[in-house]
Amino acid sequence: MTTKKKTTNFTESFQELEEITRWFDSQEQLDLDVGLKKFERGLELAQELKKKLAEVENKVEEIKQKFSE
Amino acid sequence: MSSPALSVAEYLKLINDTLRLIPSDQVVIEGEVSDFRVAQGKWVSFDLKDEQAQAVLKCFMTTWQLKTAIEDGMRVQVKGHPNVYERFGTFKLNVETLEPVGEGALRRAYELLKRKLETEGLFDVSRKRELPRFPQRIGLITSRDAAAYGDFLRILNNRWGGVKILHAHVHVQGREAVGEIVGAFEYFNRLDDRPDVLVLTRGGGGLEDLHAFNDEQVARAIYASKIPVVVAVGHERDESLADFVADVRASTPSNAAERIVPSRSDVSYELETLTGHMESRLSHTIQDRAFVLERVTNLIGFILERQKERLSRAKEGLLLLVNSWLPRLREGLESSTRVLRQVDPKRVLARGYSLVTVGGRVVRDASTLEVGGEITVQFAAGCADARVSRVNNKGQQKLVQFVGRGRRMTIL
Repeated sequence: MTTKKKTTNFTESFQELEEITRWFDSQEQLDLDVGLKKFERGLELAQELKKKLAEVENKVEEIKQKFSE
Repeated sequence: MSSPALSVAEYLKLINDTLRLIPSDQVVIEGEVSDFRVAQGKWVSFDLKDEQAQAVLKCFMTTWQLKTAIEDGMRVQVKGHPNVYERFGTFKLNVETLEPVGEGALRRAYELLKRKLETEGLFDVSRKRELPRFPQRIGLITSRDAAAYGDFLRILNNRWGGVKILHAHVHVQGREAVGEIVGAFEYFNRLDDRPDVLVLTRGGGGLEDLHAFNDEQVARAIYASKIPVVVAVGHERDESLADFVADVRASTPSNAAERIVPSRSDVSYELETLTGHMESRLSHTIQDRAFVLERVTNLIGFILERQKERLSRAKEGLLLLVNSWLPRLREGLESSTRVLRQVDPKRVLARGYSLVTVGGRVVRDASTLEVGGEITVQFAAGCADARVSRVNNKGQQKLVQFVGRGRRMTIL
């Protein structure tokens, strides 16, 4: 369950970061104040995501049940 | 005397009971299919014939029992129970299993099933689902003894971490394969907490080895799965019906891992790119602002400069103007001075006249003087105080005596 939460966060964080980057592209005239805030948040997300990249373990769980029709 | 006669039904029952004595489970009959028909989408009938000898076995089965597509001319092996139908008095083999024989027949069966599933829309590109970008739970359907199992996990571990793999151990070939694979698909789809993606994989093999991956039931199980499915069979060139139904077809077990999880380095690069992009956009904006600021500053400087110029021009104009009316002003002043000078009483005094004042006031009428009163007489040079000794009446002289010196004088 914890794994799930973590990875969901990965997807969510990544999406948020992409959204922020898109915001930077969508603005004809960047609002500097907002831009700086978003930039800070983006860096924070990237930092978090990079930390998770360091995770190396994958867990294999054998399903006990026999499969047949 | 013979025993009492049997009814037809009783006799047929006797025959059928006798036929049941044949160990049908162990008898395999091989022949060529002809006159293959399907009635009402349920009932399958065909004749099984020998190629040389003229022998025909009428066969009957249901479409559910027919696991492979067949057509006339195909060599098959069947197992089943013989039976005489009481109502029609016909002898038929109730077929329970049917398998094409030989590579040619298998190939043909494969082609037929492929066409059928394709027509039904199982391979439609439009229904293929996208895989989640960062899956956290993967359902792996393969044999733990297969090389595919190790390959898949090795590549997965090389690329990405933090994933949970739920492994359903199934036979990937042999008699149990189809049932187990279909069962695994059902198991995963029944879970409350379903995996994000399912992988069905095995190494390569001949058409015979891959039969489970070309099985109609397996194809339908993949089609029915609510979870996106990746199928990876064997090596590049191998194809299976399961491949065509899958949402994503991977060429090998390793390739399946590559398709399912991103690589750390790719994601790391992407993160760099994203943050780099934000940064450059931001710094561009700051530069733009600085540029605008500089322009505004320049503009203000320019405006100030112009105002200064205007001011100095106005000053010059003013000076010019002043210079033009200053001489006139001066001239006017001088002529006024001249006039003033001419009426200066001192000039009159210089001509010999004197001015009499009493208490600072000029005396214009002798009658206003009082005898004995003191008066001041102003000359061109100096002045003297005097006392009035006598006043003449109008037009007459008044005599004044200078105080001090006792001299008399007459004022006209």
